[in-house]
Amino acid sequence: MKNLTLLLTMLVLAFNTNAQTNIFEPSKTQFMIRGYGHTGFNYQNSEGDNESSFVGSAFSPIFLFKHSDRLMFEAELEFELEHNQLEVGLEYADVMYVLNKHMTVRAGKFLLPFGTFMERLHPSWINRFSTKPLGFGHGGITPASGIGVELRGAFDIGKSKLNYSVYGVNGPRLKDGTGGEPEEAGMLQFQNFEDNNLSKAIGGRLGILPFADSSTELGFSAYSSGKLGEKDSEYEDVGAFLYAIDFSFVKQIPELSGFIDIKAQYSKSNVENAHYVEIHDEDGGDGDGGDEGGHKIGEGEGVEYTFDNQSDAFYAQLSYRPTMATNNFLKNLEFVGRYSNFNTPEGSLWEEKSTQYAFGINYWLSWRSVVKLSFQTTDREGGHDGGFSKTEAISLHWAIGF
Amino acid sequence: MKKITKIFMRLIMMAGIIVTVVACSSSKEIYTDITESKEVKFERSGAQLWGETCSRCHLVPSPAAYNDTDWSTIELHMRIRANISESDSNKIFEFLKSAN
Repeated sequence: MKNLTLLLTMLVLAFNTNAQTNIFEPSKTQFMIRGYGHTGFNYQNSEGDNESSFVGSAFSPIFLFKHSDRLMFEAELEFELEHNQLEVGLEYADVMYVLNKHMTVRAGKFLLPFGTFMERLHPSWINRFSTKPLGFGHGGITPASGIGVELRGAFDIGKSKLNYSVYGVNGPRLKDGTGGEPEEAGMLQFQNFEDNNLSKAIGGRLGILPFADSSTELGFSAYSSGKLGEKDSEYEDVGAFLYAIDFSFVKQIPELSGFIDIKAQYSKSNVENAHYVEIHDEDGGDGDGGDEGGHKIGEGEGVEYTFDNQSDAFYAQLSYRPTMATNNFLKNLEFVGRYSNFNTPEGSLWEEKSTQYAFGINYWLSWRSVVKLSFQTTDREGGHDGGFSKTEAISLHWAIGF
Repeated sequence: MKKITKIFMRLIMMAGIIVTVVACSSSKEIYTDITESKEVKFERSGAQLWGETCSRCHLVPSPAAYNDTDWSTIELHMRIRANISESDSNKIFEFLKSAN
């Protein structure tokens, strides 16, 4: 009886062991949630007007569904507390298919490779500051995402590397000043779920990494749209051409006992000139801004005006991490500085000339978690408020990628 | 005794000559010059590419952060997002999977 019990126990154990080894067979399709989030505290002084607030609590989950070695779906949502309410956004949602080792097609809403900041560097756990450089984000001139189709890929050319991207998207629409936003006449609105005309925007980026260690990358981007206005409107044939040049240098330099990271991007927007109407109050209200060569349409109705619709933005950022320091605390520190500059068209109601300097000290808790302490000062001439303003801000943020 | 020593010395000399000839001989029947295409290629390893490529945007991830299955999903995502060539991408993620 004892022998029989022992035999049965051994058989059960043997089957169990066999069963357990088969449990961890990976599935051919994979689903994964990644993402990032940040939270923090901001203090701001603008012309004697002080504000302080706990901010952020932004949460951006990224959904990855790998159907096969060639086919993948990706999407990123953004939950953010802004203007006293929860804002939910769809950063991108696209399907990607690897055609061959040098070519991948993407379709849907995807981040546009116009320069590198919005496509690669804007997530809070990657961006070395808690703010974007001037010219990016709301009111900026650089397209962040588009809905359409894209071909992209990379090659090795000897020791050098080359990557490319070409795409066609719905394209921007021209804000003509109607719809309660007269002060934004002439601006481009890039987020268009439905196109307002039959013309599509085309663009692309070419990136060159001349050295074998991939330390340096130089990129050239262009984005063109022949028609921006509503179909059959007077603005339909207004076109736009944008371009950007980006630079990146990342290398560990033993002489400096650490990592140097330089990023820079120059972006230029050129929209064909058009005539806009500035509505005036019945009592002959203010008509300033962009009335060069303008003429009155009628008393209390509006003034037609035009301007040379060119804008540009530039930023350069330098960071240093003493990764070869013997002290562990020093090793995880990062010192960072950024200069950015933003100019919008003279004569427009959104005319602005801004310059910003930002300095920061970051402490890396791990490769994907950082505490950022930064100070930035911004001089702004023009803008929505008009006049000159100087804003100084201090922020303490914690960001994590997961 | 002298004769034995003489024979022994000759044997050692013969052995020395045979060893030298064998050591200096080549298995190739003829010698060919090294052409340009046959030059040794110093390709970058997965570990090198991992350090150089990832740090272009963010800090270098720890191999232990994900398991093999997760790395294979991240591989495809990052290859397309960062526009990395297939050969570099394969090397990086083979390294990550071997080191996690």
